[in-house]
Amino acid sequence: MDVITGWWDDFFWGSVVVVEVFVVALIMTVLFGLIGAAAKLSRSRVAKYIASGYTVVFRGTPEILILLLVYFGSAVALTAVSQTFDPEVKFTDIPPFWAGAFAIALIVGSYATETFRGAFLGVDPGQIEAARALGLSSLQTLVYVRIPAMWRLALPPFGNHMLSLIKDTALIAIIGLQETLFVAEQAIGTTGKPFTMYILVGVIYLGFSTIITLTVMVLERYANRHLEAAR
Amino acid sequence: MIIDIPLIIDSIPKMLMGFGLTIQLLFLSGVLGLVLAIVLLLMRISGRWYLAAPTMVYIYVFRGTPILVQIFIVYHGLPQLEFVRESIFWPILREPFGCAIVALTLNTGAYVSEILRGGVLGVDRGLKEAASALGLSARHRFIYITTPIAIRLALPAYSNDVISLLKSTALASTITLLDMMGIARNIVAATYAPYEVFVSLMVIYLVLTWMIQRSFGLIEGRMSRYVKEQA
Repeated sequence: MDVITGWWDDFFWGSVVVVEVFVVALIMTVLFGLIGAAAKLSRSRVAKYIASGYTVVFRGTPEILILLLVYFGSAVALTAVSQTFDPEVKFTDIPPFWAGAFAIALIVGSYATETFRGAFLGVDPGQIEAARALGLSSLQTLVYVRIPAMWRLALPPFGNHMLSLIKDTALIAIIGLQETLFVAEQAIGTTGKPFTMYILVGVIYLGFSTIITLTVMVLERYANRHLEAAR
Repeated sequence: MIIDIPLIIDSIPKMLMGFGLTIQLLFLSGVLGLVLAIVLLLMRISGRWYLAAPTMVYIYVFRGTPILVQIFIVYHGLPQLEFVRESIFWPILREPFGCAIVALTLNTGAYVSEILRGGVLGVDRGLKEAASALGLSARHRFIYITTPIAIRLALPAYSNDVISLLKSTALASTITLLDMMGIARNIVAATYAPYEVFVSLMVIYLVLTWMIQRSFGLIEGRMSRYVKEQA
């Protein structure tokens, strides 16, 4: 354990970066998931095709491939654009933080699309009819009836999406984001103790996964509190 | 921006040279992972705490940490330990291919074991009761009643996991292996044309994913044929 002394603060800041990427990517995931689900449920055939294409492509290709495509693809495009203004520019890129968060959100968002769509359709039609019969407008039905019933259904799979998201943040180290895996590589360069360092990274991620699992458990209990009495 | 079509035509055969390695990784770690999963499952449902508890810890650790970190621990980390270098496993763990197989097997084993457990738990109790009323022993009940039904129940989730495993094999490119992803990364590093190369590779992976889904779909259809006959 002695070798880790002196690296604690680096690993701490690496963990902070993990949390930051996670939060940013989580917001984007929810956004992509909602847009995707809305498109799949819409009447427009074009929107349906686009959304189906999105889920098929991003669920069927390796995460690392999407990440590298987003990062290097955007870098090539940006470099080309900036060279038209200033031929001196050699390389411009989107920071790995944003490229990485965007890429993993695109991937997990494709899974979230299916989750949200399933949850939307999973709400008991009787409840929707009851809301109509009570004279609620369609917006009121959505806000007061559909969404409260929906998030309860979406929560367990969405917990798994959050776990995928936190684990995918490790991949962003490949394009140079200074999160824990990247810190570990630097630490190995000076200490020559790869096993110790990578195990530490594993422990940090296990901690994050545990926090997410526990949070989802608490939220599920809250979401299902109206079923307590029936039990 | 112009799409470099000759480059695409040139790079697809090059990437397909890594197809064999990708399939080897998928097949070997898939089979070994399934064996591991079955062992873990039997330990988990044995009803003996000293067998079930270690499996639960194992599954928790391997599902809670990123696969990339697991690959790095096996490939970069284990050689730090003296007893690993002196063990009989060293010839396997010395090679990146062996490390990739070990890491992917350990990872997929944890996931698949949970999927199989879901299948076993999903078997209708009435069937088991009927079997025991017919005088089948516990062992016979497990082999002739629980197993066939559990396999059918677990199959859809299992096919998803095979696809995740395919996606994880692309991470072998991070430990110097030249699978399709590794070759693609080399081509991009040399030509700096991420769109052409990576998008072509995405198409190759999508075809593979589709083939896996299709084959599992056929197996599922065959295993569920009695359900259709009833309807």
